[in-house]
This record gives sequence, C-alpha cells and structure tokens, in this order.
Amino acid sequence: MSVEADPVPLPAPPLRHRRWIPVAALAVVLAAVTSGGYLTADALGEVRGGAVAVNGSVRVTPFPGWELAGRLTDPDRIRLTSGSTSLDVAALPFDGTDVDLLRRYVDNILEPDAEQFRVSEEVEPVRLASGLTGSRIAYVGLFGDVQAPIEGEVTAVVSPTGQGVIFDGWAPAGQLQFEIDEIDAMIERAEIA
Amino acid sequence: MSDRHGGRLAIEPQFVRMPRNWGRQTSLFQWRQPAFWLYAVIVVVTALYTISQQQLFQKLSPSGWALSWGLLLLYGLPLFLAIYLLDLYEREPISLVLGALVWGGVAATVLAGIANEGWGLVVARLGGPVFAAEWTAALTAPFVEETVKVAGVILIYLIARDEMDDMMDGFVYGAMVGLGFTLVEDVFYFIAIFGGSPGGVLAGFYVRVVSSGFYGHVLYTGVAFGKRLAVALGLFVAAVAAHFLWNSPFLNFFPSSVDTFGDWVRIPFAAAVKGAPLLLFVIVMVRLAHRRERMWLETALRSEVDTPWLSEVELRVLLEPSARRRSRREMRARAGEAAERLLKRLQKEQVNLAMVRTRVASDDDPQLVRQRALSASLRDALLSMPGAALAGTRREG
Repeated sequence: MSVEADPVPLPAPPLRHRRWIPVAALAVVLAAVTSGGYLTADALGEVRGGAVAVNGSVRVTPFPGWELAGRLTDPDRIRLTSGSTSLDVAALPFDGTDVDLLRRYVDNILEPDAEQFRVSEEVEPVRLASGLTGSRIAYVGLFGDVQAPIEGEVTAVVSPTGQGVIFDGWAPAGQLQFEIDEIDAMIERAEIA
Repeated sequence: MSDRHGGRLAIEPQFVRMPRNWGRQTSLFQWRQPAFWLYAVIVVVTALYTISQQQLFQKLSPSGWALSWGLLLLYGLPLFLAIYLLDLYEREPISLVLGALVWGGVAATVLAGIANEGWGLVVARLGGPVFAAEWTAALTAPFVEETVKVAGVILIYLIARDEMDDMMDGFVYGAMVGLGFTLVEDVFYFIAIFGGSPGGVLAGFYVRVVSSGFYGHVLYTGVAFGKRLAVALGLFVAAVAAHFLWNSPFLNFFPSSVDTFGDWVRIPFAAAVKGAPLLLFVIVMVRLAHRRERMWLETALRSEVDTPWLSEVELRVLLEPSARRRSRREMRARAGEAAERLLKRLQKEQVNLAMVRTRVASDDDPQLVRQRALSASLRDALLSMPGAALAGTRREG
C-alpha cells in the first residue's frame, strides 16, 4: 500500500542568509545607477575612429567616446562631443602670437555672449606632441539662454605658417573635471600644418 | 509583585538592575550586519576621492576653501541640531545620525558625481549637446542623487532596524544624509562655480544658503523614506519631482545676471517659488508626525497613570516638549542641578516605559516590570531631594 505524503515545505533560509538579500539588492541598484548611464550611452552612441579635419591644415583625432557633432565655416570649425562635454575647434589664419589669439577669442567671442563671465588670472603655457606651443586659460559663465553655468578651457596655438587654432572645451559646471584629461589629450595630439 | 496603586516598591533605587543592553541605543558599528560592511566599503572608497577633491580645492584657493567651510559650519551646525532634536520623544543614536551625515557628504556626493556624468551622456546622445546643456541637470540629478541618498537611509535602516520606528525617524536620517550632501556640494559650488575667491564664496553663500538654504537636499531626502513600500515609493517620487522642478527651466524667475541690488533681492523670491511648496509639505508632514507621536505616547502610558512610576501631571508634562523643558528649569531653580538631571533621566525613562509598554504582550512582562521599577526608583530618589517635590507628583504612602 502506498501512502502519499503531503509535500514538505522547504525550510526558510537561515536568518543570517536572509540578511544578505536586501543588502545585495541595494548594491545592485547602486551599481546600476552609477554605471548604467555609461553602458546605455555606449549602446546608444558610436565611437568613431580616425582623425577629423577642421580644414586643410588642422586635424583632430576624437578620443574614444567622442564624436563629431557639427561643422561650420567662416571660420572653419567643428564640434566634438562626448555627450555632456564638448570640444569646439576653430582654424583660421592668424598673424600674431598664441596669446594674442587667445585674448581675441575671449574678448570677441566668449565675453560678449556671456554673463557673470570670469577667466583664470594665469595663462598656462602648453606644448603639443608636434612640438608646437600654445596658451591656455579657464573660464566660467552663463551663456545665452542656457540656465546652467558653463565652465570651459580655451587653448590657442599658432603655427609658424600662420595657422591659428582655437580649442574650446566646455561643459555644464561640474562636468568638465571628469573629461578634461581627454580634452587635453586630443589637443596634445592635434595635427597642425 | 509591585503595587501599581500607591504602595512603595520593595526595590531600592541602587538595586534596580536592567538587562545588560537595556537603555543602550543601537550603534552604527554592527559588525555582524552585512549592511554595515556594504556601508563601510562604499564610504571608505569614496572618502579617498572626497579627500583628494578637498585637497585640490584647498590648494586652488586656501582662503576661499576655509571661508566656505566656516560659513557652512555656521549654517550646518544649527541645522544639524534642529534635525536631531526634531524627534521630540526619542533621540536617534548619535553614531547612526553621524553615519547618515557621512553617507550624504562622502558616498552620495561621489556616487552621484559618477552617475550624473554617465546619465548625462545618455541625455546628450538622445537630445544633442544643446538640449543636454539645458536639461541634463533636471533629467539626471533628481533620479540619480535621490537614489544614492535614499540608499544611505535604507542602509542605516538595515543596520539598525529597531531604531527606525516611524516616519519621523526616517525624516531625521534622510535629512541628515541630505545635509551632508548639501554641505559638500556647496563647497564644490563655492570654489568651482563661484570662483573660490572670498567675494565669490560670499556670493555663493548668499545664493545657495541664504536664499535657498531652506529648500534642497535636506528636504528632498527627508521626505524620501517610509517603511511601507507604497508610502516609500510615493514619497520618493515626491522628492524626485521637487528636485526636478528645482533643476528644470520651469518656473525659473532667477535673474539671468546679477547687476543691481534688485537682482540680489530677486534671488530669494525666485528660490521660494521653486522650493516653498516642498517646504510647506514637509512642515505639514512633521506636524502630523509629531501629533501621531504624541497620541502614541499618550495611548501607551494611559494605563500607567496614577502609579508609583507616573502621575497624571507627569504624563501631561511628558506630552508637551515645552512643558518638559519648563519643568526641568523650574526643578533646577527649586532644587538644583542634580535634581534637574535626575528629572531629565526620569522623563527619559518614562518615555522608554511607553516604548516597552507597546512592545510587550503581557502586563507582567519582566521588561515592563523592570522599567516600571526603574522609573519608580528614579521618582523616589527625586522626591527625596530637598525642594524637589512637585504638587501633583508626590506619591501617597
């Protein structure tokens, strides 16, 4: 005679094990929040290789994760973006020093369009991988109708052939610090004839 | 068995011995709790980044950095005390409160910085750089920052579940997380956005603290926690919505530039438009929570009135925090500091009696009996002090 026994319910896990469950769930949530944006952005965006020509004399190689967002002429200029951070590169003939070019860009382009505009007091010298030298300043201000303050870093380089190049890396305040190394690396590797 | 109706207790004050852990509050340092270790690992790792960032700010502008922290301590310390003292009947353990503050200032700020950047990329990829410049703050920070901040409150809850009894406790821990977050974020703004010079720091202090200090992270995270899932989700959504409104271009009456005296005056009004609704919501919530605590205390102690450990007058005093303070001041004037301290201890143990009363099932539970005995012995000791007896509080017999 066979006796059909009632199914025996599984015992609840020990209390010690159950204490890990909400902690592990919380750790997963925190990991998803902190890294999810990068993973999603990678899935959405495309990483382009190769250099981008600004004009016939200037080429910039986007860092992985950066892409060409726009191109304009007069003067020739491009915008590279990683998302929240952008690097504008303009190429124009220039008869003067890199400090002159830097000053002219700040006075004629940035300052008229900005409110509460502030520029770093010191001009920092920079050297590109090609051996060219330039000058760099940092700035912060409100631009146009954009509510958030923008902070940026402008680098001016003038080649011996009179090719002036402006690199303007900018982002909403607080964001630039996370990508400034990539911006500086792209500037350092820029090809200027 | 002790006589509940006026007889003297057989237990003398010096012989009242409570269980070993009785009267102690739960500490943050729960070595056997997995939640504590997750908390500790995240705080230690993120602290390395926070320290290096503060060192950088200090190097960039020593005077601005020192002024920033000086001003923020002037703002933060009273706010810390106000939040800490908000729970009228049961103060939270100081290590847990500081743990919440540290989570907000160290872990939440660093995790939010990393996450905001990542989700900012998503906004830019979907909307383009111009859209991102205007909307990234509204579309990322409310979700990211509220999540990482409320994670700290949940961790505190998992570390010490017994300490989070009601919504008021959640508000205290949440507001502490928010306070830590806002202090560190303000230093970042003063140095990186307002320039870091003493003038820039003062301008930043005016904009972010004087004009907007009543709104922001303290309120967001304060409301974002409830023990029931539906309530917790509802409050979390409310916090995210309030944060979104603050960061978005909606209802933006801030001046585009600050050139005149009128522009400076306009800033607090613009901040009030965005922040006052949540502030009013929180004030109503806190008042309701206080009323609920008062009802809970009265219900718990009603059956203990007219006993050797609690009189009707004492219950009425216990129910009103201002009356408690007044009674201690009067006791000090009448019988000295020692009597005041003893009365304070008695009041605390009478509140603890209410907690035990609600926890135990039977009227003669050993914990309840011990707590009654402790209260009665303290009361005996107080009444034996010259000048300490109060009309209506002296026991018969």
